Formats: sequence, C-alpha cells, structure tokens
Amino acid sequence: MASTFIQSLDPRVTRLQMPEDINQQPLQSEALDQLVTFQVFMQKKEGKNFEHAGIVHAPTVELALLYAKEQYSRRFTCSGMAVAETSTVMASPYTDGGISVYQLLEGEAEATTATADVYEVFHLMKRGKQHEHAGSVEANSVEDAFYKAKESLMPEKPVLNIWLIRRDDLLTVDEEDKDIWNTLPEKGYRDAAAYKAGDKLKDFKEKNEATSSH
Amino acid sequence: MYGGGNTFEKLQGTDLQNEDPQKLAEFEARIQRGEKIEPADWMPALYRKQLVRMIEQHGHSEIIGALPEGTWITRAPGFKRKLSLMAKVQDEVGHAQLLYAAAETLGKPREQMIDDLINGKSKYSNIFNYPAFTWADACTISWLVDAGAIVNQLANSRGSYGPYCRALERICAEESFHLKYGHHAVIHLATGTPKQREMMQAALNRWWGPLMHFFGPPDKMSVHSETLMRWKVKMASNDDMRQQFLDMYVPKIWELGLTIPDPLLRKNEETGKWDYTEPDWEEFKRVINGDGPLNKERLAVRRTAEERGKWVRDAMKKVAAKEYVTPLA
Repeated sequence: MASTFIQSLDPRVTRLQMPEDINQQPLQSEALDQLVTFQVFMQKKEGKNFEHAGIVHAPTVELALLYAKEQYSRRFTCSGMAVAETSTVMASPYTDGGISVYQLLEGEAEATTATADVYEVFHLMKRGKQHEHAGSVEANSVEDAFYKAKESLMPEKPVLNIWLIRRDDLLTVDEEDKDIWNTLPEKGYRDAAAYKAGDKLKDFKEKNEATSSH
Repeated sequence: MYGGGNTFEKLQGTDLQNEDPQKLAEFEARIQRGEKIEPADWMPALYRKQLVRMIEQHGHSEIIGALPEGTWITRAPGFKRKLSLMAKVQDEVGHAQLLYAAAETLGKPREQMIDDLINGKSKYSNIFNYPAFTWADACTISWLVDAGAIVNQLANSRGSYGPYCRALERICAEESFHLKYGHHAVIHLATGTPKQREMMQAALNRWWGPLMHFFGPPDKMSVHSETLMRWKVKMASNDDMRQQFLDMYVPKIWELGLTIPDPLLRKNEETGKWDYTEPDWEEFKRVINGDGPLNKERLAVRRTAEERGKWVRDAMKKVAAKEYVTPLA
C-alpha cells in the first residue's frame, strides 16, 4: 500500500507521520510567535567583572536565566550569571575618535534621595568587544545615574558606549546557588583533549609501511 | 559549525545610489581602519540586507545540519560515542541560536527567519540535503563537513560586523571538540576491521561531491562581489577556501589509507594549488533549488516541530513579557 507519509531512513522521522505534501501550503502564522529578548551577563571566574555574553529569547526573566545557563555556560568556566530584559537596558549613543561618552555629559549629579535606585553600569571600551561591568551607582533617575557614574566610575581611557540597568531589573544567580557551576569537570567528553587518537594512527601507518615494504 | 557556500543576492548598479555619500564614506573608512560595525551604527541598506541573509543562512545550516547527525544518536556504537554526538548536536543547535541572535540585531526577528526557512524563502547549506546512510556517514559529517565549515567561519570571524564576529568567536571555541571528535571517530573506523574500513570508504565516496560543492561555485561562475569583499562581509573567495580545505585535509585522508574518488586530484607543484575534477555544478543548482534527495524531509521535520510546538509557545506567550525591542549587541 502506498504511504501518504514521508518515509525516512530515520525511523523516528518516519514515525512523525508527516504528510507527503506537507510543504505544499505556506506555513500560516497570523502573528510572529516572537518572545522578548534578554541580555545575558556572565562572570567567567570568581573576582572577574561580569561581561555581556549575548542574548536569549524567553517568556520570563526566570526562564531567561535558565536558558542563558544552557546557552552560555555549557562549556566555558562560569562563576556567575545575570539577565535583564532588553527593554530595561538604557544605552548611551556610541562615540568615535577617542571621545568618551562621559565627555559628552554636561550636567551635575543630584543629591541622592530616599527613593533612589541602584543602577549597574557597563562600559564598552573597544568596538567589537563586549560591555563589561564597571560598578554601580545610587541615583534618582537614569539621567542622574549617568552623572553619578561620571563622578565615580569614569576610567582614564575613553568609554565608547554605556549601558545602565536598574539592579531590580537584573536577575542574578544567588550566592547560595553557586554550586550549579560545579558540574563542568564531569564534562570532559565535551573537550577536544578527550579525543586523542594519535597512537592509533601512528600504529596504523607503521603497520601499513611494514606491509607495503614486503 | 556548519556554514559554507553562502549565496548572496545579485548586486545592482543602483544599490548604492540612494545612500548618503558622506555617511557611506565614513562607514567604509571605519571598515578600512579595521574597526567593527555595531548594530546602532549607520550602515548602507545593502550591507544590512546581505548580512542578514548570510548570518541567517548560517543559522539555518546549524539547525538543519543537526538533523543528519541527530539521526545517529540513538544508533551510535556505544555509550561514549552517543554522549559525544549528543553534546555535538546540542552545540550545533546552540550555534543556531547565537547566529539568529546576531542577525536579529540587524532588525529581522528570529521567528521571521524560522518562517522563511520553512517556507523555502531562505536557504541553508546544500550539503544537508544528502542522507547519512550509515554511522560512517555521520562520522564523515562530524569530521570533514565541520572541517570545511571551520575554514569558512575562521575567515568570516575576521569580518566587519561586531555581533557576528562575537558569535563566531564563541562558536569557533566549541569547534575544536567537534573536529577532534570527528577525526577520532573516522580514525577508529579507518584503522578498524575490513568491514569498518569498507564502510568508511563508501561514506567518503558518497560525501566527496557534496564536500566539493560546499564552498560554492567556482569564482569564475559566481557573482563577482567586490563591494561585499570591501565591506568585509565576504572574506575569502569560494575557490580560495576550497583550496585551503584540500591543503589541510587531503593529506589527513590519504594517511588513513582511504582513497578520494577523483582521479585528477593532485597538488600541482608548479602552481602550488590543487588540481581536481569540477564537481557537477548542475546538480548543485538543482539541489539548492529544492530538488535534492532530502530537501523535502528536512523542511518537513522543521515544519512539524514548529507546528506541533505551537501549544508550548502559546502557553509561554500567556505569561510572557510584551515589550519586544531589537537586541542591542
């Protein structure tokens, strides 16, 4: 009996029972199933600054942290991770020609009030690199946070771009959960070093030469 | 890592006519200085379009490329191979996400890219339209297709677009495991029993044509793209990458006592380049346009995952944050 389902070399694919004409009609989607994105920051080693790693798509900030762990620390050493929804990141313009973003800020920081928020400050020092955590400031508003950062965190070298994120908008892996990073030593099979076949190859070549010289 | 043989859109003489000449000059000067372009920078519409196309194709190749190898996870010979192959396939799907994220900084949402893949609007690496009949095919992909992709991606990682370069840096760091694993698996078959050797040779015979196709048509046939080279979108010509691949891997194949199914293949001492039989470029065109052994199945699998996973996405959207903005970097 002729089948109306796609027959594959892979029995699992055959079992999906995909109709032969599945690709005939274009996929209909009324709207894009687009989840928001979260910016991921990662601390490679204890004592190092958090650095921007990339993004993940997720429905909520908690799931974003889980996805970020899978995506960005699957192999590399990691001792801390934080995520923030992209829309909560306040970015300065980029500067050029050795000018620091801080030089463009003309204004004074205010006296900190009781309702102030803590903002985490990230600097981009070179194009092509990642934003790196520079410190935090307590400020009354985003604008005020830029001025406070200028007062306390401005490095000598020019900063090309600044990101500010309210600490409350960042979800960070807690201190007491840090043992989640301890699994890496068991994953030797993910490293190139686990795949040494040089001896096998050498033996084979020697044996081959021995037979061909007979 | 699976990208390779990117196809670009044909350039028109009018492409740059509407761009502000001063901004264009500043943009080109920045690339000349070796600086990276970041998402918020001004860029010509053509640069954006070609980059989205290239990075998106690369992402799709990772997703589709995981299918022929994924097929062999359940039938891998032994626990160790199964563990390695699972880790590799997981990496590849992760690479797709990194690449989609880089393309998304240019303004095209990930879901649109996935829809375009399923609807056949955007391409992926042609080589994955061929089947992996035996375990040796899976090993050939792990070693030689990844090797080809590494040649391609190391070139691209020196390109001009910051987010793509950063994604490739991350990807390349994981690649060394794939290559070593693939080589390890091939060495074991090639130095094994006569039956294993035979299986390995048969797989190599099947994949040699697609591997020669991998870097795309010869330079004399492909659209000459000086602009894309100047903008550091395309970093090396198809023929140069093919030569580099042959230089690095033909000796490694030969030392295993395997033969390559091309009687003309040899290093030309005069030119310092490899002579070879041109693969069948008509077949390449036919397969890339949809008529390959597995085009239909590959897209059907992707489409089925999309359709049958809809309820999960719907559930997620119920609790999801709403304010979508383009990623920053």
